[in-house]
Amino acid sequence: MAVRAQFENSNEIGVFSKLTNSYCLVSLGGSENFYSVFESELGDVIPVVHASIAGTRVIGRLTAGNRRGLLVPNTTTDQELQHLRNSLPDSVAIQRVEERLSALGNVIACNDYVALVHPDLDRETEEIIADVLGVEVFRQTIADNVLVGSYCAISNQGGLVHPRTSLQDQDELSSLLQVPLVAGTVNRGSDVIGGGLVVNDWTAFAGLDTTSTELSVIESIFKLQDSQPSAIVNDMRDSLIDNYS
Amino acid sequence: MTSIYNFKRIAPVPDAGDFLDIVLSKTQRKTPTVVHPGYKISRIRQFYMRKVKFTQESFDEKLRQILEEFPVLDNVHPFYADLMNVLYDKDHYKLALGQINTAKHLIDAVGKDYVRLLKFGDSLYRCKQLKRAALGRMATIMKRQKDSLSYLEQVRQHLGRLPSIDPNTRTLIVCGYPNVGKSSFMNKVTRADVDVQPYAFTTKSLFVGHMDYKYLRWQVIDTPGILDHPLEERNTIEMQSITALAHLRAAVLFFIDLSGQCGYTISEQMSLFSSIKPLFANKPTLLVVSKIDACTLDDISPEERSLVEAAAQEGTEIAQLSSYLDRGIVETRNLACDKLLQQRVEMKLKGQKVANVLNKLNVAQPGRRDTVDRPAHIPEAVAKRRKYDPTDPERRMLERDLEAAAGGPGLYNIDLKKNYMLASDDWKHDVIPEIMNGRNVADFVDPDIETKLAELEREEERLEAEGLYDSPQEEEEEDVEEKRIRDLARRIREKKQIIAQESRINNVNRATLNAKQKAAASTSEDFADHLKRLGLDAQEAESTAGRVGRKRGRSESRDPAVVLARSSSLAARAVSVQRDRSVMGLKDARHKASSDRKRDMSQRRFAVTGRAGESDRAISVKMPKHLYTGKRSIGSNDRR
Repeated sequence: MAVRAQFENSNEIGVFSKLTNSYCLVSLGGSENFYSVFESELGDVIPVVHASIAGTRVIGRLTAGNRRGLLVPNTTTDQELQHLRNSLPDSVAIQRVEERLSALGNVIACNDYVALVHPDLDRETEEIIADVLGVEVFRQTIADNVLVGSYCAISNQGGLVHPRTSLQDQDELSSLLQVPLVAGTVNRGSDVIGGGLVVNDWTAFAGLDTTSTELSVIESIFKLQDSQPSAIVNDMRDSLIDNYS
Repeated sequence: MTSIYNFKRIAPVPDAGDFLDIVLSKTQRKTPTVVHPGYKISRIRQFYMRKVKFTQESFDEKLRQILEEFPVLDNVHPFYADLMNVLYDKDHYKLALGQINTAKHLIDAVGKDYVRLLKFGDSLYRCKQLKRAALGRMATIMKRQKDSLSYLEQVRQHLGRLPSIDPNTRTLIVCGYPNVGKSSFMNKVTRADVDVQPYAFTTKSLFVGHMDYKYLRWQVIDTPGILDHPLEERNTIEMQSITALAHLRAAVLFFIDLSGQCGYTISEQMSLFSSIKPLFANKPTLLVVSKIDACTLDDISPEERSLVEAAAQEGTEIAQLSSYLDRGIVETRNLACDKLLQQRVEMKLKGQKVANVLNKLNVAQPGRRDTVDRPAHIPEAVAKRRKYDPTDPERRMLERDLEAAAGGPGLYNIDLKKNYMLASDDWKHDVIPEIMNGRNVADFVDPDIETKLAELEREEERLEAEGLYDSPQEEEEEDVEEKRIRDLARRIREKKQIIAQESRINNVNRATLNAKQKAAASTSEDFADHLKRLGLDAQEAESTAGRVGRKRGRSESRDPAVVLARSSSLAARAVSVQRDRSVMGLKDARHKASSDRKRDMSQRRFAVTGRAGESDRAISVKMPKHLYTGKRSIGSNDRR
């Protein structure tokens, strides 16, 4: 199920939230509307937690995580860390990472099995990612962008990458991640996929500007609501051609 | 995505009277109003010239705005150009804009002429009369544009109310005889809410509605009914339909009513179809049989049926629907949309742009790189949970509901701790000290930290015992070399420190000798000393220095009596020699010695400390303040 949402008039909801298969972090806003969008979809299944990182609201860009763990930057305060520890189940490991590239959400893209990371990330950080999140780590770029976390969104079922990713790159990334991949956009043509979309294995949340074409691509590639990636090639081909060219 | 054809932003065109009022009152407001006959004539002339020029510029600006804002027929999409021709008459429209343009030029010319005349005005009275004449002539020109202005205002109002049709997007056009059910269909597929009445020509202009199909946005255009007669005899209402059919690349739905409720026979309708058929060229066309609740294809006579089916032979498909019974509507719409989409996609596949889209159509499927299974992780609760329904009274209470109950955003204070997962719920709101025993509480979070530390230490001891950290023996040879280097380095560091300390001691504010003076002052003993300190043999160097060194005359003692006698010898008087001024006025060598000693004693203080003496040149204050501060009346401050 893909849902459109907006955080205080911003469509970049991937900046203000972090969604995994075992928890969801939502930043503190002026009202509870944004939080309640997540709560109404995920309420009884996984904890939806109000959070801040280093006193900022851009938690989606600063943290990286999956079902097994959560990595937070070294700027996270002890109080914030304690709040996260108390709010998340014990099965989720939380680790503060001393890394120069402290916007971990921008430099790490991961699902429960594989992580793509920025090519300049510390070797030590790479080991921490592998240990805490339990993933294989690959240094990669997406369409020549080093910020892999910003320009793609991946789950265990599929992935959406930057609209300028070449076919070869798509195939390479797909075989690393072992999930089907497609290039696409969110928020009416925005290429910052990670900023406009958060996704896990059964739900996705996209910015309010996302068109119905974009949303149906998202539902198909992430296999939400029983749709299959093959729908993009078969049913939606004409709509996509007419829409994009 | 928004259409570029938006005519709603054209500014209102005032009628001629208002136009004059606007411009003249603006002149009155924005130019000076007081002038006296006693002023210099140049000032009076300038006063009136300004009024004339300003009025002319105001007229020019407003007329130019009209000319720029109204669409130029040659530059808009042919659909709009033709539609405007039908609605407003192209010639009339162009004429009106042309006249406005002429008026603008005339007013400019009048303004220029009178400014020229004003240059020769010789009194206030005459200048004023010239100004009056100029403004009067401009007003007359403007008044003559009364008809054009009112026409343009009408056009503007009508343009603003035209439906915003995007000529390039996916479009369905609904057409046919009057009263065959076009608008009913339109109301069914879109939310346009077009007026439907049981008489002909209910729809008198184009209407546009929007719908979604296959994740895309479609526009549906409802056209007024058309009758079967030659193009020249068609009225404005019909011509709008024809314009839309002629210029928009769209799917055409031609509606026919077999029941005859519309008042036209089947043969009449089919002859209209064949007469406007040229307009359907290269467009997906559907022959839609409407009102099948009243009469279907099976109910009509075989001749009429063959008429209808003859049309279908030539590539046109037949669809049947009833807006009354809601039957066949979606099928008809889907059929039309699919045909149009297919055609558009075929055209686009021939173009260049499609290459950029290929990666959005390609789903990269992973080749297996290992045998690890990577299943999705969906909790069982997902399948079991009920979909959130905001109207359900037993729905989950969201934070938003709690917030609304507490008075809305800003008033509601969210309890961040209520969802904590702790061993006991009573602990949730416990206050936790942040610092305990001088250490951060976060350091104590791990209960096993002590055991882990002990384990680490044990491991460390074990490793040490195993000799992991012992350095291997075989590197002894290198150690000798290394020791020598370390020793040297230590000595260099010590020496550096000494130099630094010395320079710190010497670096007080006093006159210092320059390098040349220092060299002159140093002796061969200093040199030898230096060499000894460096650990070199100084003997050789000393002997060399002794051989090479020149003996200076002054350093050898002479008998002062001989010197004195020489200086005063008469033999030297023959030529002008420089005399030694140090002995002038002194009686003898004793006298000189004592005066020298006195001099040395007086200079001793400066000589010992190496300080500048009282006869040395000194600048006590570099920039005397009284010479450098304050403004000068002349505008500069570097000269007095």
